[in-house]
Amino acid sequence: MSLGNTTRLDLADKVILGLVTALALLWLAPIIWVIGLSFKPNEVLMRDTRGVFSAPFTLKNYTDIIASSQVFSWMLNSVIVATGQTVLTLMLSTLAGYGFARTDFPGKRILFAVVLVGLAVPEQAIIVPLHTMFAAADLHNTYAGLIAPRLAFPFGVFLMTQYFRGVPREIEEAAMLDNASRFKIFVKVILPLTIPAQATLGIYTFLHAWNEYFWPLVSATKPEMYTLTIGLAAMQTNFAQTEGIGFLMAQAVFAGLPVFILYLFFQRHIINAVSGRVG
Amino acid sequence: MAGISLQRVSKRFGQVEAVSDLSLEIGSGEFAVFLGPSGCGKTTLLRMIAGLEDVSDGEIRIGGERVDHLAPGQRGVAMVFQHYALYPHMSVHDNMAFGLKNIGVARDEIARKVAAAVKMLEIEPLLQRKPTQLSGGQKQRVAIGRAIVKEPKAFLFDEPLSNLDAALRSRTRIELARLHQQVKSTMVFVTHDQVEAMTLATRIIVMNKGKIEQVGTPMDVYRRPATKFVATFVGTPAMNVLAGVLSEVGSMAMVTLKDGSPIRTSIKAAGLGGVREVEIGIRAEHVGSKGSIPATVEVVERLGDRSLVYGRLGDGTVVTFEEAGDIGLAIGDPVLLSFSPEHVHIFDAHGRAHQTA
Amino acid sequence: MTTITSLAVSAPAPRARKARAASRDPESVGRRSLWNLLFVAPFMLVFAGLVLLPVALGAWLSFQDYDMLSGYHGAVGWKNYIELWNDRIFIRSVGNTLWFVCLTTPAFVAIGLFLALALNNSWRSSAVFRSVFFGSSILSVTIVTLIWRLVYMQDRGLIANLLAPLGIPAPAFITSEALALPGIAIVTVWWIIGLPMMLFLAALQQIPRELYEAAALDNASRWRTLIWVTLPAIKRTVILVAVLEVVMQFQLFGQAHLITGGGPNNASRPIVMFIYEAGFRDWALGYAAAASQVLFVLMMAAALLQMWLGRTKAQG
Repeated sequence: MSLGNTTRLDLADKVILGLVTALALLWLAPIIWVIGLSFKPNEVLMRDTRGVFSAPFTLKNYTDIIASSQVFSWMLNSVIVATGQTVLTLMLSTLAGYGFARTDFPGKRILFAVVLVGLAVPEQAIIVPLHTMFAAADLHNTYAGLIAPRLAFPFGVFLMTQYFRGVPREIEEAAMLDNASRFKIFVKVILPLTIPAQATLGIYTFLHAWNEYFWPLVSATKPEMYTLTIGLAAMQTNFAQTEGIGFLMAQAVFAGLPVFILYLFFQRHIINAVSGRVG
Repeated sequence: MAGISLQRVSKRFGQVEAVSDLSLEIGSGEFAVFLGPSGCGKTTLLRMIAGLEDVSDGEIRIGGERVDHLAPGQRGVAMVFQHYALYPHMSVHDNMAFGLKNIGVARDEIARKVAAAVKMLEIEPLLQRKPTQLSGGQKQRVAIGRAIVKEPKAFLFDEPLSNLDAALRSRTRIELARLHQQVKSTMVFVTHDQVEAMTLATRIIVMNKGKIEQVGTPMDVYRRPATKFVATFVGTPAMNVLAGVLSEVGSMAMVTLKDGSPIRTSIKAAGLGGVREVEIGIRAEHVGSKGSIPATVEVVERLGDRSLVYGRLGDGTVVTFEEAGDIGLAIGDPVLLSFSPEHVHIFDAHGRAHQTA
Repeated sequence: MTTITSLAVSAPAPRARKARAASRDPESVGRRSLWNLLFVAPFMLVFAGLVLLPVALGAWLSFQDYDMLSGYHGAVGWKNYIELWNDRIFIRSVGNTLWFVCLTTPAFVAIGLFLALALNNSWRSSAVFRSVFFGSSILSVTIVTLIWRLVYMQDRGLIANLLAPLGIPAPAFITSEALALPGIAIVTVWWIIGLPMMLFLAALQQIPRELYEAAALDNASRWRTLIWVTLPAIKRTVILVAVLEVVMQFQLFGQAHLITGGGPNNASRPIVMFIYEAGFRDWALGYAAAASQVLFVLMMAAALLQMWLGRTKAQG
């Protein structure tokens, strides 16, 4: 379509730009509205939500959050679970990714095919038996229980396999001639050369772990184990009667802040991971 | 340093045979060059010596010891890769020290060896730089330095000059020759460029389709090629090849070209078997322009020190001939060519070449 | 001296080893070795335990009468599936899910493609726009549903506020049977439009510049270039995005769970929510497992159908 670098805008371009701007405003409107609501006193909002951008404003909703300890404990849980998942996923994915990318062993084709099949299995198809298994192992309402299931998702392995194959073979061959063991090659040559890809996978995993809904919903049933996502959902259930729309919105904004900061700094990585590109 | 012995070595990739039943002895201290077109198996052979490819059949010995079951690092060879294969995230110093560290050499020993290699290659100022900060020629030297510190039994070079521009290539060629003098080690060098082979080798191994065509010194390979393939592959411009019919004149072979011109040779007719249809070969520098074979000038290339002329014979064959300096011929001029009898090669139906005894 | 050392003359060496049945992976470096299995072992163990095992267990469970409350009653063959077939709510949920997929997938493809085409340039404004459209997808489902529950509020929502001056009442996205799923569809498209947009952008950027230049020299108008050059070049991505979205939207859960609760009157209950309720509210594990298997099969069928349709279209 647009060849991109022309500075002259014809009518068609202007119309498209207008459409896109309108859409963008449409996209931002709910978020801006909600942020505005979080700064309004609850009593006002009980009656009327129209005066979002006019007085009165208040910071009470936010101070209330800081006063009430729940959000912070939820956030802590989210941090622990997301960090744990990220670190462990990186370890498993890089090891397996290298194994599939550049080493040869009996049964490699079969194992890779099996992992490929696993990519097609959706979370929901196995959540019931998974829950039963974890219940039998008494792993519900534990950090391990929250972290474990996603470790098995093959996406990370595929990402790392693809990226490891981008390292020129000659470098590994040189290392072999330099008497480096396979594991040493992995640690001292491959890993340092693929840090961007690991960062991409790490950030992507963190984000998804942070936002996870279904599994924590059924596994973390005790309020003290709620992650931020689940805790916020629990607050939502009948908000017509809750402490107030303003307070609820402030919690939403609060919950969105960490991922927003992540997005601000790591947008490129998140996009790369999602579109399957690396580095 | 040590010699390399290949006995009946073969390599198959699935159904394709890249190297066929090849045997070769490379003497200790030799500079052996594997020369051939792409796909001839020369790189595969080098990689088999290095241990980067398994041997399908046969044995490889280095310094008398059988190595084809050993891991690459345990064979006592060092390799300089086509694209250098330096570790991008390590400094020049660490690139060179990596191999020694892996086998547990003491730190001061490593420092000593690295310092010696660095001095020889004149790359001291580069020690702390990373490969991305180096030019092609500098990377080349670091790659060589990495090989030198290992003090290997043999150096293996995989087309190391193909990535360099023309000027750098000739300079590096000279440095490699000098390196061989200094280090006095066995060197195995793979290339498709026959100029590199001619200038660097103590012996050239010409390969084609997984087999050896000829092994010999550069001059031998040039003057007395064993097969038609070697004759046409080595030498620029390529040797002229013309078809003709064999007969005998006074116990010497004589070939009559398609246009009827008789070509006398100094080759004994007896050794040629009973073949009638043969081809002859003659290099451009052995074709004269004051003879009796009629041709028309098609193209003249003036190179400064010499001129190359492409003349078309009556039967359509193009013959290249060479004259020193400038030549007073223009396109379309008629010219009478002569072939120096002592320098005519005859190629029989099996592709074997026969020369004056 | 000239020597010909080729041994073509002597007899060939006996082929001691038969050609190995499995040829090695050309991408790999170094020898085939059992030790290399250690690299993939940790992941494979986790994978086997947390994916393969549950898959098998789920399949087995679906043929059992296993209820957390009343206990285990042994294998019952196809009973769970037959019950599902007769379960009005389940059938409704399957219909809902299919309807939802039909609503969202074309929207994702069309809007995503439009945005990608419009924003495939190096303008500053486009970079900002791309950030906006992609940004919504980083929010969790709870934040998204919280926002949109408010937007959809009948009396005080954003839509209500905007339409009030015009005298139009806000559409009852939450309380109306007909509008419940469309309402969720709107939320979902708002939420994850970034993904298809990015995939299309990546595909568009793969199109070599020269094709556009050739079209320009061939006097192709912008519209013609779009139809005859751009779209054919990204056909495979369009199919990919469609398949991806179908698979993803089959898994609808959070939005329905939190915005409409599956109502009103089961109008917006998707299959996954049914599974959730059967498994974690009613604790009928065998039944829920059976529903999970059905979901899995439906998803596979839909994805395969899409791919097959896409392939014949691509060839035709």
